[in-house]
This record gives sequence, C-alpha cells and structure tokens, in this order.
Amino acid sequence: MTHDATVETLSNTAMAVRSKSSSLLGAWWGPAVWISATGVFAGTRASDIAGRETFFNVAQPWVVYVFLAGLVGLLTFGFVRHASLWMIGKPTDGILKEIPARLRNVGRYGAGQDKVRRDRYAGIMHWCISSSIIVLTIVTAQVALQDDTPLDFLHGNYYLFFSFYGDLFGLIGLIGVGMALYRRYFASHHRIRWDERVEDHLIIVGLGLILVTGFVVESARIIETELVQHPDWARWSFVSWVLAQGIDSFGFSVSSPENPQSEILALHTWSWWVHVVLAFSWLGLIVFTRLDHLIFAPINAFFLRTDAPGRLAEIKDIEEQEVFGVGHVQDFTWKQLFELDACVRCGRCTEVCPANISGQPLSPMHLIQDLKAHLADVGPDIQMHRHATGDAGREVSPIAMVGDVIKDETLWACRTCGACVQECPVLIEHVPTIVDMRRFLVMNEARLPANAQAALENIEMRGHPWRGTALERTTWMEGLGEVAIFDGTQDYLYWVGCSGSLVERNLPITQSVFKLLRESGASFGVMGQEETCNGDPARRLGNEYLFQILAQQLIETFNGKNVQKVITNCPHCFNTFKNEYPQFNGNFEVLHHTEFLAGALEDGRLKPKYAVTSDVTYHDSCYLGRMNGTYDAPRQIIEMVPGANLVEMQRNLSRGLCCGAGGGNMWQEEIGERRVNHVRTEEAVSTGADQVISNCPFCIQMFEDGVPSIQPEEEGRIKPFDVAELLEAAVFGPKMDSNPTED
Amino acid sequence: MHLVVCAKQIPDPDTPPSAFKIDEATNSVVPAPGISPILSQFDGIAAEAALRIKESQGDDSKVTVISMGADSARAAIKQVLAMGADEGVLLNDEAFEGGDSYTTAKVLAAAINHLGDVDAVFCGRQAADWDMGQVGLLLSEELNWASAIIAKGVEYGDGNISVQRVLTDGFETVSTQLPAVVTVSNEFGEPRYPKLPQIMAAAKKTVTQLGASDLGLDPSDVGASGSRLKVERLYIPETDSNVEFMEGDTPQEQAAALVQKLQADKLI
Repeated sequence: MTHDATVETLSNTAMAVRSKSSSLLGAWWGPAVWISATGVFAGTRASDIAGRETFFNVAQPWVVYVFLAGLVGLLTFGFVRHASLWMIGKPTDGILKEIPARLRNVGRYGAGQDKVRRDRYAGIMHWCISSSIIVLTIVTAQVALQDDTPLDFLHGNYYLFFSFYGDLFGLIGLIGVGMALYRRYFASHHRIRWDERVEDHLIIVGLGLILVTGFVVESARIIETELVQHPDWARWSFVSWVLAQGIDSFGFSVSSPENPQSEILALHTWSWWVHVVLAFSWLGLIVFTRLDHLIFAPINAFFLRTDAPGRLAEIKDIEEQEVFGVGHVQDFTWKQLFELDACVRCGRCTEVCPANISGQPLSPMHLIQDLKAHLADVGPDIQMHRHATGDAGREVSPIAMVGDVIKDETLWACRTCGACVQECPVLIEHVPTIVDMRRFLVMNEARLPANAQAALENIEMRGHPWRGTALERTTWMEGLGEVAIFDGTQDYLYWVGCSGSLVERNLPITQSVFKLLRESGASFGVMGQEETCNGDPARRLGNEYLFQILAQQLIETFNGKNVQKVITNCPHCFNTFKNEYPQFNGNFEVLHHTEFLAGALEDGRLKPKYAVTSDVTYHDSCYLGRMNGTYDAPRQIIEMVPGANLVEMQRNLSRGLCCGAGGGNMWQEEIGERRVNHVRTEEAVSTGADQVISNCPFCIQMFEDGVPSIQPEEEGRIKPFDVAELLEAAVFGPKMDSNPTED
Repeated sequence: MHLVVCAKQIPDPDTPPSAFKIDEATNSVVPAPGISPILSQFDGIAAEAALRIKESQGDDSKVTVISMGADSARAAIKQVLAMGADEGVLLNDEAFEGGDSYTTAKVLAAAINHLGDVDAVFCGRQAADWDMGQVGLLLSEELNWASAIIAKGVEYGDGNISVQRVLTDGFETVSTQLPAVVTVSNEFGEPRYPKLPQIMAAAKKTVTQLGASDLGLDPSDVGASGSRLKVERLYIPETDSNVEFMEGDTPQEQAAALVQKLQADKLI
C-alpha cells in the first residue's frame, strides 16, 4: 500500500498512475554524464588537428595553484571550525548502520536533488546552476591536466567537443542564474527573501559574473587565434563564437607580429584575471555562507534517518538522565547540530508549515536559523569550558536556548505534521528537534500550556485525554448486537482508541468500521473497557516518561492477550503501534482501517451495492499520509463507492495540509491570526465537494468545528465523514435505511 | 517551618454518569471498572498553596502530605510528593473505615499531633466526591487552632498567615498567628505540573503508614463506630423533562399561550 509519491498530479485511477520517483542519474545527471562520456570516446579517436595553447597569453598561470592551495586551506579551516561545534553534541545512534540505504539517499537527494525538484522552477534553476558548476569545474580541471601534467588529450575532435560542452554548460549556468535573479529581484514576496542576507546577492551575482567573464576570456582567445585562422574550430564554442563576432565588430585591434600588444589581448588578460579571482573568491564563500550546502547537503543525505519518519527517538534509560529533553544546545545529537549548518534558508519548510500559514508563531526555517546562530554564539565557549572542566557546561550560556532563543509558544505551535521535513531539500528533520525541546519544557521545567497540561494529567489519571466526556469506552457498542471481546482466539484486535469511543462525533465512525469488519467476515475482537491511551499524545506533547510507561503497560497487555494483528481507527494510534512500539519490543502487524477495508474490497469480501452520488474531496491525514505513505488505500475505497466522484484539493498527498490538531494541538488554544482548521476547511470548501472525507478522528473533529465558521449558512455545507462512513453507506445503504443486523 | 497537606483520594468525579452505580441496599457507591481513583482536585490546590509558602521560606521548611484511606491512596500521596512535598504519611486502618467528616478530622488531628512540630495545615475546601466541606473546620476544632477557609490567596510572614477568603460577593483578607488550618479554593489557581526529576524522587520516597494504635486512638471513637452521621438513603435522583410546543398561528399568539401556561404552572 505504501509507496513514495513524489509526483503530485493525481489521476482518478489512483493506484497505478503515480509513477515511482524517476530520480537518480537518468533524469538529472543524464545529460552531463552522457556528454562527458561521448567526449571521452571522441577523445580516444581524436586526430591531431585542432588544439590550442591552454594558458595562452597568461603570464603567471602558476598563480592559479596558489589560489587553489589557499582555497583548500580555507575549506579545511572552515570544516574544522564547523566540526568542532558539532562535536559538542551527543552521540548519534545508528548513524553508520545501513550504509547501502544511506548511499542511496546521497544519490537520490544529493546528486539527484529529489527534494529540490518539488518546486519545479527551483528544480530547473538549481539543476542548471549546479550542473554547470560541476561540468565547468571538470572543464577547468582538464585544462590544468593538459597544461601541467604529461597527459595530452585536448586536441583534435575531443578538443572541439570539449569546446562545445564547455560553452553549453556555461550557457546552462547563465540560464540558471537568470532564473535565480528573476526570483530574487522580480518575483513578488517570495519565500527566499524571508531571511535575505548580503551573501545571497554575492553568491548569485558573483556566479553570473564568473560565467560572463569566462565567456569573455574564451571570446577574446577565439578572436586572436581562431576566428580568422580556424573558423571551423571556433564554431564549436558556439556561445563564445557569437560573442567573439560581436566584440570583433567594434574593430578592436588584434595582435600581429607588428602589434604584439593588441586591445583584444589586453581584454583577454584582464578578463582572465577577473575570472580567476572571482571564481576562487566565490568558492571561498563556501566557508562563510550557505554555499556550504554544496558539501553539507549530500553529507546530510547520508545522515538521513533510515527508519520510519513517524517515529520519535526514545530516551533510553530515562530514569538515569541528568536532564530530560534538550534545553541546552549541547544536548542535541551532533547530527542535529550538523543539520543546522546544512540549512540554506530557502523557506520551503516555512511555506508549508500549517502554523505559519495560519499566522501562528512558528517558522521552521527561522527556528533552525536561530538555533544555528545560537550554536555559533555559545558553542566555542561551551567547548572551552568542557575542555577545562570536563563537565557538560550547561551553565555556560547566559541565555536560555529554550525560552529565550526559541520561545515556548513557537514549540507549542508545531503540529508535528512533518510537512517541513517532507519539503526540506537538505533533509533537515525539524520535528524531532522541536519535540526534543518540548520534552525539556514538559519533563524538566514543567512549563506547558494549561490545556496541554490538563490533557496530560487526564491521560495519567484517567487513561485518556478527553476530560469530562459523558461517554464510556463501551457506549459505541449499543445497538450493534454482540460485540466480541478479544481473547486471543481472533485474528485481529480492533483498536477503537480514546477518540473513537469517548468523543460523540466519532462513535458513528467506530460503528461503521465495526459493521464493515463484521460484514467482511473478519475474525476480530475489541478490548472495550480495558483500552487505555497508547501514549501518542503524551509523546508528542513531550512527556516521554509517561509515554514509555503507557507503551510498556500496553505492550504487556497485548502480549498477555496474544495480540498479533491490530486494526486501528486512528492514524495516530496506527503510527504509534506500527513505528514506535517496536522500540520497546512491541512488534505487531498493524493496519489502519482504510488499509484493511481496501483489501476487503479488492478481494470481494465487501461489496458496495448502493450508490452514494456525491462529489467528495479527500483530506490526507498527516500520520497516515506523510508519516506512513498510505495515500492509495483510502482513495481506492472512494473510487469503489458507486457514484462518489473524487475532487482533489490543491494541497494533497505528501503536500497535504494538516487539519491543525496534530502534535497535541487538539488540546491547546491556538495563538495567532487564524485557526489551522479554518484554513484547511476553506480549501476543502473551495473544491465545491459535498463531503470532505478523511481517515482520522481528529481531522473529522477539526472539520466539524471549522465548517460552521467557513460556511455560516447551514444549507449547502460541506459534510465531514470518515472513509468508513462513506463505505458503510455504499455497502449497507444510506444510514436512514434500517439495517437488519443493527437491532 | 513544617506544613501539612491533607489529601484525599476519591473516585473520579469526571466519570460519565452512566458508569456511576449505587447499591441502594448498603447505601454505597459500587466501584466501576471505568472509574479511576484520583487526588481530589481541591487538595492538589492546597498542596500548591503549601509548596509556595515552603519555597518562600527556604531550605529548613518542609511539607508533609497526609492521607487517610486504603493502600491505593499512596498514589495520591505520591502525586503530592512529586509536586515537591517532602514526606508522606498514610493513615490506613480498618478502624478508620466508614467514618464521617467528624471522625476523619479526629484521625487527621491525631496524626498532626503525632508529627508534633506542625505550623500550619492546608486542606482542599472540600473533597470533590461528597462535597461536604467540613473536615478543615472540624480539624481546626480538634486541634484547637485558628482557621481560615475557602482561600484564594495565602501569604506568610513574621509568624502570621494572611488569607484572602472567597465570599459570595467578593473576598476578605484575614490574618492569624500560627498554628492554623487553611482550606484552599479553586480560585487560588492550578496546581503545578510535576517535573520529572521530582516524580522520580517521589517514587523513591517511603510513605510512613500509621494506624489507630500508633496514634493512640480508641478504635471505637473513629470510623463507622465513631461516626455521628448516618446515611439514610443513597440514590441517584431521577430527572425528567417534557417538551411542549405552544400552539398558535402567529408568534404573538404563541407567546401569549406561553405566558398563560407559565402563569398557570405558577412559574412566573
């Protein structure tokens, strides 16, 4: 059921059409690799006709090597300086395990730039620029090899071909720079200007000048040595050839035995020096600016987690910790600190952040940048303190990282929806970093919003987060006939969850799932009164201690009952059982109800007989979609409901916008201009659909709450339903028809 | 300075009404599987008030939490210990069972005298199960101490305690020398959320258990045998509602009919 949906256009036949990511070499590096390979081939067959003196006209070419040595020194210095800051972090578990998967990530996200392409314009722009830098570096290296080593290959056909692709990638680079300049200076209110710095102008304008001066150098040389003498060679450098003709038309003097100091030679000399100095200076920016992503982004791709994105790291031996969670920069893992340096301030994370979209006080990009600045600020002192005293140095920083640098309300605004992580082109994982700081707030400082505290206390005292509910865990069973209690003889445990049993709106969903499971002939039981919170809200709110207690207790209960397979109502329970319980040796086969129901439809155990004529839109919940990659099963069900016509929202699949309830925000007051659920409801309403279908009790509640605000008129309101409710209507007929099994 | 917090473990008052069952034969509440035993909310607030004074007084102050109840009441004691209290005492004896507010106050007073050096006692304004609100006052009588009940603010300085008391039409500030008993109301504010290091420290603290003989109490004076309150009948009141639509062709006629009906039923 799960696969990686990177292509966002969705056809109505949901399963087959979305292709696997067409990444890696074929799509992106293909042209560069192909051209180079052809060039090498041509080189082996070269005749000795075409060629040139590589350092033609330049008096002190050795200076280049001085620059190169300087650059290498500078890069080493920069790397050591950064590395010494990362090293103040804690060890990172498992970072050298699963090497093949990590190398694949480097190929896919580093070389293939898989995430960069999620913004098509930026994808093209970035490929133009990065490929030209790489190819032109290879071009330059070939010149150096030809000139300063015994190798002799820049002549004949290969020389001509070399001239061609050098110019081609120079042109591609200029196109990229042009696109970048347009975005930076002419496109209105763009995310890349949310944190604009002087270096951004230097990088892009500098690169443009390097490319332009490169062409001027080449043109001047062509005017001097080829334009008249070998016009058939000159044409291969097709851009410089045109430029050379343009320059030549001004009638500048060309050298000759009578006039060895011509204007064109002077132009060549000057532009060569400018080109070389600019190029090395620009590469030197790697040390001081976000250009360091050239190095850090591919390395961070290597460091990318290889386990489920929905899993938060466990605090091992929690009772023996000195400090709980991360309140000081040195309590992050070194990988988390490394990530900070990879950030390029592109703003993609902030652009998709539901809190930010709603005007709430969280911008993931600024959070990462603030942490980065804080690390640079206090890191060296911490390092020195540690060196001198050997203790952790938590008292070194005069400012509190959590509270002063990162405000409490910023951390609480996070929905843990993972949209930022999904978009980040350099693979930063914002969510675990945010939750680590929440852990510090909750467990170490006991500083948390009153409602979040009430939810946690409720989980501790009552085993569920719904204080004041008038319902019992068995209320939903009324009118359903016999409901089997799981005793280890059934195949599946149907896990209803707190929201599925204690929140009135969700009872019909639980009943729908139950009836459909029964109709499908599945062998299943429920736990009824014995269910308790599995700890997901506690973990996401930062109370890892409470989570671990709940998880261990429930795993014990499951094992005691011989539970093997679990079907959950709620994608949050689903994610916790599936991805987080294995951390505590709780290994169960876990299905979300949409997965089970889609399977039952596919093999005919469930048959939709009644038409539900309706335009419906589908909302991907974060924890079924982004976190677990299940985009197809719910859509498959909708496809199989006769009469239901699926209209997709603009933000869907891996780009789906959170309903606003994730990360424990179901139990918090929202601070900011708008509520997230109002924004999302608006998007659902704008599809013109009659129903908004989802798969998560929280999402449904958020829509129920949002609809009356967005559509004050009762008539024609969009109706929120779970996929199971839609399917129930198709299998058993509309709800008002009495169901014989019901009474 | 030694402060005592009296804490009671009660059946969760947030239990859905449908889960709440009564055995009318024995006039007692039937414990249901869905009802969790919890610390009475007002007692958590009382603990908060005591802890704030302790923190303002520095290291030589301590807070002892006392609970009378079954062994399960240790959870309530641990909760207050996790908030920052220093010691816990469980008053657990068969002889204490089935008592009323009066016998409860008597046992608590004996325990406080047993501790000896107590400067002030903090109770919730009432327990959130029976909501009688008497133990605090009766306790001050037993101890023969001053009392200030239903506090929304408490301050301590120079041997005096100053208490803001909630009244029906505002509040008053009263001041008394210690020792004294204070009962604290929800207007005081929320109890703190325990920090994890304290939760773990609380888990390691031992809770002293005392019975009637330890306190020098005669079993016939406490519990059911000492109780002055007899429950005649315990029942869930039946509620009923009827809906009647007022007839009439126009809103004016309907309104007139409504007035007539309300007057006839002597409701206006």
